[in-house]
Amino acid sequence: MRILLVQPAPFEDRRLGLENTVWLSEPVSLTSIGAMAPDHDVEIVDMRLEDPRALSKKLVSFQPDIVGTTAMTTDAYQAKAVLRITRQLLPDALTLIGGHYPTFLPEEYREGFVDVIFKGEGELGFRELLDRWSADRQKQPGARQGRDCLLDIAGTEVRTEADAWVDSGKRPWARKLDELPAPNRGLIHRYQGQYFFLGAAPMASIFTSRGCSFDCNFCAIWEFYDRKTRFLSAKAIADRMEACDEPFLFFLDDNFLSRTDRLVQLCDEIEERGIKKHWMSQGRADFVAANPELIARLARNGLMGLLSGYETNDEDALAGLNKRSTLDANKKAAKILRDNGVISTGIFMVRPEFEEKDFDALYQYILDLRVAIPLVTVLTPLPGTEMWRKKRSELLTEDLRLFDLLHAVTETRLPREEFYKNYVRWKSVGHQSRKNYFDWKILWMRRSFYRKAAPNLPRMIWRRLRYERIQFDHKSYLRDEDGIIGVGSRARHRGAK
Amino acid sequence: MSRELDNAAFLADLRQEIEHHPAVNHVFLSRIACTPFTKEDYAIFGLQHYPLVGLFCTYMEHLLLHAPDSDAKGWIAKVLVDEYGERSDGKDHAELYREFLHGCGVPPGEEDTVPLDGRVIDFIRTHMRLVTREHFLVGLGALGPGHEWAIPRMFELIIEGLRRAGFAEHEITYFTEHVEQDQDHGVWLEEALGIMIDGREDQELVRRGAMLSLEARARFWEGVQTQVVSWRQPEGLRDLRRKARKWVGDTQELLPWLPARVLNHTAIYRTQIRKAALEG
Repeated sequence: MRILLVQPAPFEDRRLGLENTVWLSEPVSLTSIGAMAPDHDVEIVDMRLEDPRALSKKLVSFQPDIVGTTAMTTDAYQAKAVLRITRQLLPDALTLIGGHYPTFLPEEYREGFVDVIFKGEGELGFRELLDRWSADRQKQPGARQGRDCLLDIAGTEVRTEADAWVDSGKRPWARKLDELPAPNRGLIHRYQGQYFFLGAAPMASIFTSRGCSFDCNFCAIWEFYDRKTRFLSAKAIADRMEACDEPFLFFLDDNFLSRTDRLVQLCDEIEERGIKKHWMSQGRADFVAANPELIARLARNGLMGLLSGYETNDEDALAGLNKRSTLDANKKAAKILRDNGVISTGIFMVRPEFEEKDFDALYQYILDLRVAIPLVTVLTPLPGTEMWRKKRSELLTEDLRLFDLLHAVTETRLPREEFYKNYVRWKSVGHQSRKNYFDWKILWMRRSFYRKAAPNLPRMIWRRLRYERIQFDHKSYLRDEDGIIGVGSRARHRGAK
Repeated sequence: MSRELDNAAFLADLRQEIEHHPAVNHVFLSRIACTPFTKEDYAIFGLQHYPLVGLFCTYMEHLLLHAPDSDAKGWIAKVLVDEYGERSDGKDHAELYREFLHGCGVPPGEEDTVPLDGRVIDFIRTHMRLVTREHFLVGLGALGPGHEWAIPRMFELIIEGLRRAGFAEHEITYFTEHVEQDQDHGVWLEEALGIMIDGREDQELVRRGAMLSLEARARFWEGVQTQVVSWRQPEGLRDLRRKARKWVGDTQELLPWLPARVLNHTAIYRTQIRKAALEG
């Protein structure tokens, strides 16, 4: 059977955003799904790296029997568009969608052009669907297939021939990640070299765990995984690291720093095998603060960057987010990372109720912390989170294009123009932070990384300059809101420049 | 094979080729169907699309002049009468489109002053060339199958988006009527082409016209999409490029002995740095 898996682009072509300027990771969810179909002809189209005509050309030339896509909140519409065009071109192809957004809001995808919605982890359900669909096809070759054979696959919602939706309930999680096949990276071979994180390119992406055991109320990860974390063994991680040709890796885990014994084993494996790769991941600041020796050892074994949610400068606000960490931990973590030459990418939040003095206090806090790269976001009640359920009635819009952590989707205390003017002030904070963080000692300590990344510097600067023109222009946020929230500026020009 | 059977097979293949063409199934159209674009977004869309609407009759009139016989003239005249508003209460298509623009909040007259994306202009130039300088059957292929078989499928997607954006039905009559009328035109066209095409060479001319039209159409959608994106992000890459190109031009005057390739690379890089320095 021919299977086409499509990674949607979060933006319309030509639109700039974080994903085409700061961080573009491999479509690991699709390579994982693709690995479940070794006996079938599978192809992946990554629309983030393709021209707009590529999808219809591929649909026509490949003639897939099954077309699947995935959706996070920000690409929810684009994923729909993939399946809509599929139905128009190939009315008989089975269309599937999975991912975070359809898991939390499957009702958004109960459309005539969607056949199956996967909820939760997709691998095992997809394997079962393939087996049933192929067996059914063999029974009645040439006949147009009905979807009745798919109706009771756990973890799915299936559209019947009569256009009703049958929900087969939750699917138990795969018990051990080691039992699942490694993602089939061969399916994205032709895109190799195009994935990056800032100056780290070419970059491979690996999952070493899934889920998070914390319960921050603005985050949907723990709800998706029932607040459980499953881990890949250290040996399996090292195997996958070795299998990558790329010098840079990103561990896409929701919380990589969560079990010391596994991390110690990973260091043992890396040292024994002599793996010399630079890697980055996401992890909590309180873990860093509590385990300085382990962080030092991880840094010696290639840890080069860490994204952590420092969130706020206010202890009460931290507690209000259920963060279960402290400002003191943030401070210690930033120092430990700096001492080890790990590029600390700190994520901070401004909240809609912020006044000018709150912005000032947060920006001063960021400077005092001396994180290498601060990323300031706007607190957003993302669909699927506890916060979203509480604040849904306060939302000014449900247009998902604004749920990108960069727009205020609830009322702001300051007038919106003032709010965004203050928000974009973090440009100078970011520049100052970088200056505070980097010095010759750090560059010398991690010279092998900087030597490898140096050729990417012009491209990184080019991307950043492009994006900064939008990111730090308060009017761009108002233009994004225009006609959606209704208080933005009006378009100044309507035609080509 | 008889001429009728041969033509019927050719037309069936051509229709399939058109219905599967990337221009007709452009992902931008599917995005329109699935994304809650606002009326302001549609104003941008409409202002770029309007010139095509206004010129379709002009293309047809040019083609009429080139038509080789009365059968061909008759068919073109039949379509033209519809375009002039025969089945739209006397409102021609441009007038219907202005009602749509009005629904988007575009003040009267703005449609004549808005700057057009280069790919919109390219679409118009391509079609003018096809109906005036190419063989009659090439022009017919472009305006016939290239339009009549493509538009209903494209517009169905657009109509989904327009309804989601809250347009009243009377504001989108241009689109809804086209789905209906072009299906009729498609049937007339099939009859007409069955009579006019004689042999492989003629078939190839018609096909060529249709494909050239659709290639221009795909570029056109990309141009419209760029405009829809760039009114919200006017400070994007294009602006930098334009200024960089200007700077390259200045540099070339000062340093004429440097190879253009070197100038292009250094200039873009230096322009960015200079701009960053000025802004920072």
